[in-house]
Amino acid sequence: MKSYLLSAIFLVAFLAAAPGSETPPQLKPFERGSWQQVLHSHAGRPTLVHFWGVTCGPCKVELPMLGQFMKDHEAIDVVTISADMVPDLPEATQSMLAGAGLQAAENWIFSDGFVERLRFEIDPGWQGDIPRTMLISRAGKITTIEGSAEMAQLEKWSDQQFAATK
Amino acid sequence: MSLTGNVVMLRKRLLAAIVFALWHPAAFGQMSHQHASEAACEETVLRCASRVTPAFGPDGTLWLAWIAGGQISVASSKDAGHSFSEPVQVTKEHLNLDWGPDARPKIVVDRKGNIALAFSTFRDKAFNGQVFYTRSSDGGQSFAELRPITSNNESQRFEALAFDADGSVFAAWLDKRNRVPAQQRGEKYDGAGLFFASSKDAGATYSEARLATENTCECCRLGLAFAGPGRPVIVFRNIFEGGVRDHAIMTFSDVSTPGEVRRVSRDEWQIAACPHHGPSLSISPSGTYHVTWYTAGKARKGLFYARSQYEGKTFSDPLAIGRPDRNPSRPYVLAGPQGTIIAWKEFDGEKTTVNSMISHDDGLTWSKPISVATTTDTSDHPMLVTDGQKSFLSWMTKADGYLFQPIGDEP
Repeated sequence: MKSYLLSAIFLVAFLAAAPGSETPPQLKPFERGSWQQVLHSHAGRPTLVHFWGVTCGPCKVELPMLGQFMKDHEAIDVVTISADMVPDLPEATQSMLAGAGLQAAENWIFSDGFVERLRFEIDPGWQGDIPRTMLISRAGKITTIEGSAEMAQLEKWSDQQFAATK
Repeated sequence: MSLTGNVVMLRKRLLAAIVFALWHPAAFGQMSHQHASEAACEETVLRCASRVTPAFGPDGTLWLAWIAGGQISVASSKDAGHSFSEPVQVTKEHLNLDWGPDARPKIVVDRKGNIALAFSTFRDKAFNGQVFYTRSSDGGQSFAELRPITSNNESQRFEALAFDADGSVFAAWLDKRNRVPAQQRGEKYDGAGLFFASSKDAGATYSEARLATENTCECCRLGLAFAGPGRPVIVFRNIFEGGVRDHAIMTFSDVSTPGEVRRVSRDEWQIAACPHHGPSLSISPSGTYHVTWYTAGKARKGLFYARSQYEGKTFSDPLAIGRPDRNPSRPYVLAGPQGTIIAWKEFDGEKTTVNSMISHDDGLTWSKPISVATTTDTSDHPMLVTDGQKSFLSWMTKADGYLFQPIGDEP
């Protein structure tokens, strides 16, 4: 029994230390107050926040491009928030994030059925259309892109963030 | 407890912790489910419903179809929603029912009391949809075996149903069957096709699916009504030139002949996104089309109403609905016996209110909005329904249960 327990503990330790590609992306539950937490924890850093959902066709096209953008721009914090009503499907969300190369991003999932309130905290004018991207500068200035973002637009914003510091 | 007992207990706790750790992703799903759910509970009863769709029968019986506990159920009320019959479960197996924001079961009742019902499921892990239908010919006591509305295996969602004057059923839905062939030809294909079929046997079987128009927005509900016997009218979010997702309307010349795509409004909402926010249509006995919709276009943003006395050839200037600072959403229009009513939701940061306004001159002028119901947690879209004598608001809420109340009595 003792050796069995030890083996099991080692197995858990091994799984916890497995490389990123083997581990499903961690999903943080996005609840009331989470938006302020996101803003606070990335304050002073250029941050791209992407809202998407597993049933959204345009999102499926855009997500891998964002994965590439994150790879190419290590100095930009990338946050994804699954804003579909996915009450019990974190696995599908994790699978799509992993497929898009966004395992290492800070990944959230709407975890409050009262989505109107969650959206209102983020942007009172947002009715839930996805994809949607919010670009937050070091100074906290938010630029919102409704619908799929043009990668050229993201590149331009990224260049501006670093040009400003030179 | 003996020392041996303590050791056994410790081992059990350790094992439990290991099992929990190994199953962490699943545990996340379980933990978050209740709080994240749109529903108040997990059973199949009405109180646990996330979506409820009403329809009146010819004898004034109110019928409801709802999603609760992962199943679709139907019940009826002879006293305008005060009490309900024992629910009949339409779905038997576990199906992954479409939980998209604009999805809901559809139920319609014809003059003889036949009930036609349709709904969407997610058929695979890529969230491709499938539309199923069924019917009851014994007054809702039982429903026929579920059948797919088309034999095609590409994605279908956002079905709409309506009974024609002769008892036939008209069905429309969004269908992605032409996407892959277009891509194989090297052509770009946006959105989904608007498809339709009809049933001459009160919803027992449907005709072969046919295309009404290509490249409509793939994630919004449809509005469907009849302009007269045999003349269905569909309002939908179209994808116009340049990826502009504005609303369009189509009047069929008969149930198998689609009409022109006519634009309801030039909102200029150019967006490659799923708005998840479809329109609503009602046609008054005078033949006036009443349409409500949501847009975030360059020309205007918010909820709007417009009317057409010319079968959708031209529409009135869009009339803004609701308070822009209260995030107005989910407009629903009904040309009812006391007048034309629009209901919609507003949210003030804490609570959601259903507001309504009424027109007694077929949509030319409107009353001031009034608040008719409020809730403090998540809620379904408000819907309006009439028994021919009165109009009613049907609204499922997580915190306050199902609300069914007269609406439009105010002057």
